[in-house]
Parts: sequence; C-alpha cells; structure tokens
Amino acid sequence: MSIAILAAVAFGILSGIFVFPSSMESSMGLFINIGLGLLLFFVGIDIGSHRGILSKIRRIGFKVFLVPLMVAIGSILGTAVAGIIMGVALNESAAIGAGFGWYSLSAIELSRHSAYLGTLAFVTNISREVIALVTIPFIAKYVGKLEAIAPAGATAMDTVLPVISKATNANVAIISFITGVVLSSLVPVLVPFFMLF
Amino acid sequence: MNILLYIVLILIGGILGNRRLLPEWVMKYMDQIQFICLLLLLFIMGVSIGLDEEVIRSFGTIGMQGIFFAVASIVFSVLGVKLIAPYVFSKGGEEE
Repeated sequence: MSIAILAAVAFGILSGIFVFPSSMESSMGLFINIGLGLLLFFVGIDIGSHRGILSKIRRIGFKVFLVPLMVAIGSILGTAVAGIIMGVALNESAAIGAGFGWYSLSAIELSRHSAYLGTLAFVTNISREVIALVTIPFIAKYVGKLEAIAPAGATAMDTVLPVISKATNANVAIISFITGVVLSSLVPVLVPFFMLF
Repeated sequence: MNILLYIVLILIGGILGNRRLLPEWVMKYMDQIQFICLLLLLFIMGVSIGLDEEVIRSFGTIGMQGIFFAVASIVFSVLGVKLIAPYVFSKGGEEE
C-alpha cells in the first residue's frame, strides 16, 4: 500500500514538473476538492456500514481528545528538539511544529514574520503530509492503529483521512476525523501564540 | 469553512452505508473503488506540488531542514500517542 501511495505522489510531482502546463495550477484546487469530497463520502459509507461504532466512540468518551492533545505536544516538542539541533530559535521551531501539517495556513501566518520562516513552515508541513501518507500503513501495521493517526496531524480529517481509514478501521477513522478537527482549530491560535515570544 | 462540507459528506455516506441503501455490487467493490480514487487524489496532489514552482525552488534551498523538522514532529507525535493508546482503548473501545 505504501509503495502504491509513494508511486502515485511521486508520479504526480514529476508530471507536475515536466508534463502539465503551469496554466493548470489555478484549477488544481478544484480537482483536489472534488477528489477529496468523493473520498470523504466513501469514508462515511465505511463508517456507516459498521454499525455500533458511534456507541463505541461514546464509551471511549472524552479520552478521544487525548489523541489530538498528544499529537499537539509531540509535534511541537519534536520541532523544538530539531530546532535546538539545527540552531533555529525555539519560538520559531515551536510555531512551525504547531502548523500540524496544515501547510497553507502555517506558511501564510509565518511569512508575515519573515519569508524564510514562511518557506520553512511550508516545506516542513508539506513534507509532513507526504511522509504521513507514505508511513501510515507501516505505523498502523507495526506500531499501532491509534498511533497511525499521529503523523497526519491536522490533515487527519481530510487529505490523509482516506489513507488512515484504509490502513486501520472505521473506529479509528472517526477518532482520526475528531483529531484532525481539533488540531485544525488549534493551528490559527497556536502558531501566532508562539510568535509572541 | 470546509469542515462543515466534510462533515456533511461523511454523514451522507454514513447514512447510506448504515441503512444499506447502496446496491450490493457497490458495497462489494467498495475497497477497490476507494483505493483507485485514493491513488487518483494522491496523484493530483502530487501534480499540484510539482506545478508550484515556488515549492520546488524552496525545496532546493531549505528542503533538508524542513524534512528534518517534519520527521521529528512525526516521531514525537507517534510516541506521544503510543503513551496514551492503551488507556484510550482500555474498555469499550477495543481495537477490532
């Protein structure tokens, strides 16, 4: 599964660079939205056809929110440690980590401080999304199904959700969606917050 | 606000799936249909990355730094969730 995912992304990137005319760039957003909408619809069918899932999630209760909490702490701690190793200011590293893979928003927010920071946030978070897509099937198989949500960050509710849903089960797919929603709403708050320091 | 649209789409799918409103053959091939659509979406996402000259240019300059940041945040996130996974799935939410 990972190989097929990697091949599809890599083939896409190469075709984007060498085959498709750059005039197509403006319509890509629409294509992505259509594809994404279709896939989320499928994820819904998958969740719906497994009866009793909602009651299961209800039994887990507020503990589902531990997942986004740990992903948030882990993401920020991770970039902070990486930043210390690479000599990037602590607040800037933390702000980049708080992008949680939502590259467009974190990059726009941080480019107000410097073009370098904006670009770094962009590259980091787009890499996170691509790495997440490729590693999630492995993590689901060898580490754990719940852990497979972690790499996705904010994208656990949209672009990466179909991969998580396919690699795990309908139960984890719902937790993934909730995680993505919580993390996405934290990005516009946390990224500017760290830049206050 | 895309979140609302996502929720609506998942809900419509959920209701169709729950009430068994889809023809048998669609459900039978659901996995394959889903996977082909997924690969198509990933291809399109790749194309949009490749078409964006800004991205390609910035990868040349600070690509390694960004990838290191990304890997670090993924590793720490996975470890973080690993800590609480047994607790979340402790009772009632057992893995299928």
